Amino acid sequence: MVLRLAAIPPLVSTVVALGVLLGSSGDAPSLDVSWVPGLDLEFVFQIDSLAALMTLLVSGIGVLVFVYANGYFGPTAAGTGRFATTLLAFSTAMLGLVWADSVWTLFVFWEATSITSFLLVGHKSVDAAARLAARRALLITAGGGLALLAGLLILADRAGTTRLDDMGPVGGTAGGVAAALVLVAAATKSAQFPFHVWLPGAMAAPTPVSAYLHSATMVKAGVLLVALLGPALGETDVWKPVGIGFGLLSAFWGAIGALRHTDAKLILAWGTVSQLGLMIVLLSAGSGKAVFAAVSLILAHAVFKAALFMVVGEIDVRAGTRDISALSGLGSRMPLAAMVAVVSGASMAGVPPLLGFTAKEAAIEAALKMDGLEALVVGFAVIGGSVLTVAYTVRLLLGLFGPSDQPATDIADRRPAMAFPSALLAVGSVLGYVFLGTVNSLVRPAAVQVQPEAEVYYLLRWPGITTAFLISVAIVVAGSTVGWLVFRRPLGVPSPVGAGVVDRGTDGVLSVARFVTGRVQHGSLPVYMAVMAMTVIVAALPFAFDVEPSAIYLWDSPMQGVLAVVVVGAAVLTSGMASSRLGAALGLGSVGVAVSGLFVVHGAPDLALTQLLVETVIVVGFVLGLGHLTRRFPSAKAGWRLLRLVVSVCVGGAVALALASSASNPSGVPPLEDLTVAAVDEGGGNNLVNVILTDVRALDTLGEVVVLAVAALGILALTESGRSRKEEVA
Amino acid sequence: MSGSLIFAIAGLSAVGIYMITGRSLSRIVLGFALLGHASVLALLASGGPAGDPPLADRTTATEVANPVPQALALTAIVISFGLTLFLLALARRQQELTGDDLVEDDVEDRRIASQETP
Repeated sequence: MVLRLAAIPPLVSTVVALGVLLGSSGDAPSLDVSWVPGLDLEFVFQIDSLAALMTLLVSGIGVLVFVYANGYFGPTAAGTGRFATTLLAFSTAMLGLVWADSVWTLFVFWEATSITSFLLVGHKSVDAAARLAARRALLITAGGGLALLAGLLILADRAGTTRLDDMGPVGGTAGGVAAALVLVAAATKSAQFPFHVWLPGAMAAPTPVSAYLHSATMVKAGVLLVALLGPALGETDVWKPVGIGFGLLSAFWGAIGALRHTDAKLILAWGTVSQLGLMIVLLSAGSGKAVFAAVSLILAHAVFKAALFMVVGEIDVRAGTRDISALSGLGSRMPLAAMVAVVSGASMAGVPPLLGFTAKEAAIEAALKMDGLEALVVGFAVIGGSVLTVAYTVRLLLGLFGPSDQPATDIADRRPAMAFPSALLAVGSVLGYVFLGTVNSLVRPAAVQVQPEAEVYYLLRWPGITTAFLISVAIVVAGSTVGWLVFRRPLGVPSPVGAGVVDRGTDGVLSVARFVTGRVQHGSLPVYMAVMAMTVIVAALPFAFDVEPSAIYLWDSPMQGVLAVVVVGAAVLTSGMASSRLGAALGLGSVGVAVSGLFVVHGAPDLALTQLLVETVIVVGFVLGLGHLTRRFPSAKAGWRLLRLVVSVCVGGAVALALASSASNPSGVPPLEDLTVAAVDEGGGNNLVNVILTDVRALDTLGEVVVLAVAALGILALTESGRSRKEEVA
Repeated sequence: MSGSLIFAIAGLSAVGIYMITGRSLSRIVLGFALLGHASVLALLASGGPAGDPPLADRTTATEVANPVPQALALTAIVISFGLTLFLLALARRQQELTGDDLVEDDVEDRRIASQETP
């Protein structure tokens, strides 16, 4: 029920996106929301052609995924409310990312998709593998987010604007650095080699999540980023080689991974890595035709890959496994699922008459139109990647539905809510080919927005016997042969080396953090105090170079010297010699009296008087409050005591240094006469200290009284609560 | 600045630090009180040399001690008085609850510190 209700918001935004796409109103809808005006931080959204196309994918497939999830989880599953909420939150973040027209908006929603996808991948939170996969996905994509932030900061600084719309081309070293950072971010999000290691692990997520995040939405965010920032960064030296490099490696490595695994969901995940690589290659190449092909591929891939994920999820639920080596006889037992998979797989392999075919044709033609090394590299990526795509598609379909020696797998009843969305998407792959004109009108404006030269291109329903078509035929033949051979003689499942490396790295960081925390956050108050004291010592060191010996004299009067010795002596007695608490209290009292003496000698009778009163009360309080305690202080270890002694003496030295330095650098002469005149004339009093306290610092004095009142209340509460407990016990 | 005052302040600080790095709460209170004395004296010393009490009708303006630090120090004395008594009450409460007034280690922190690497 929750999941069905949750399908409503994406349905609404699908309708809105269709309205924007098919309506011919001139200006794109936009919205500005000021966030932090002083920092020029704002949320800027604009639904232009590319954004509308992506909205259609995000929301349209979103609706189907919610319907599908309803069937996937069944009526009794727990946690569907949490699932629906998180998936909707993700959907919202994705829409925000797609609509963003300011680099900051883009970044905020980019991170939001990382976090929500972490929650979705880790949905089965009792499963340790799912938690590990979620952590890996978060660390890699959030790490990419940091690269993105750095890249966007440089870009916004160089371009002089934060609006993606107004951004002109940026060049130079700064542009190159920004381009590299942005491409790394895109590679982490779109699972490009070597950052792809999170995507296969993310298959631990429930299948609706994979069908949504790992086909149409989140993994497309990186591709979208390359498309959005291509106009600004495409002219740097770094953009093309790095982008094509990421894409080329991923196109091949992903496809090879897809050929080796036997878990159908993993095959699809690795296939996604490969397909995304192809899109990145085309977008980084940046010619009109290549961008046009890439945008077509985004659309076609979302449709067929979501359908395939859904079919695999259905097989998983109904047959209890999704391992192609364990499944048998599903072709006749699940005819509808088989048809959906064959149609969508054929679209993925680029077989006519399906949407995937036209997109692949466009990609091949784009490669043929290039010159020199670029044509070679892009052509190699497109053709080689396509051959391998056909191969793993054939192997997947044969493995799921093909002939097998094993007895047929038992399957549960069909769940209409699961079958319907995938069937609709398969029909979409066919209809996309039939109504190619409509698809053209969706794709072309989006491609033109990235690269104006894409204006002249369109998807061909039937290209005739062209070079590209012949290449296509060769691709299908070669790919099918390879797929058949690999199906007959499996390559062996690889162990997840990359994921292992990431996990070991993370565990290493965590254990180092635990070690450092264990040493630094020791848990012992005396150690903390000692560390702070040592910091004081270090902080005082610079003062040593700033002392003028002539500024220091022995004493103001001999009495001051005597009293200073008495003060320090009494303090030392208080701490070291007096081992009883009562003795310590009396020691403290004598220190106080001696300090009052110092005040008198200094010419501060008010202070002396106050100090005497205060000291008396403290000694009385000490005796009354703590008189019934055990008499002796506990003894400490000798080593620790020695360390404390050294630290204390050093702190004493540091304080002396700081004082001497302050005496060496007087900031002026006190305006004693002015103060006296002002006190008598304006304050109306002869005691300067009193006038300052009452006239100048009246509010401070009031605050001081409040502090005393609060302290008194606290003391009362602390003593009274103890008393009442005792009475209760008695 | 008077060397005697510097000596007194440095000595009070050293003894104060020694006491607050101990484990007994009542000793920590004593240490705080000593550090309070040290800071009041430092405030006074930084205001200039000793002089006559700053009373306009009894002493000449050029020979009095700087009254501004005195006014500030007066507040400091009173605040440290309140703090000391409050800490005493805390120590007493601790003694009532645990039978002693020792500052214990944070158990959770110790657990993290002693945890072996996985």
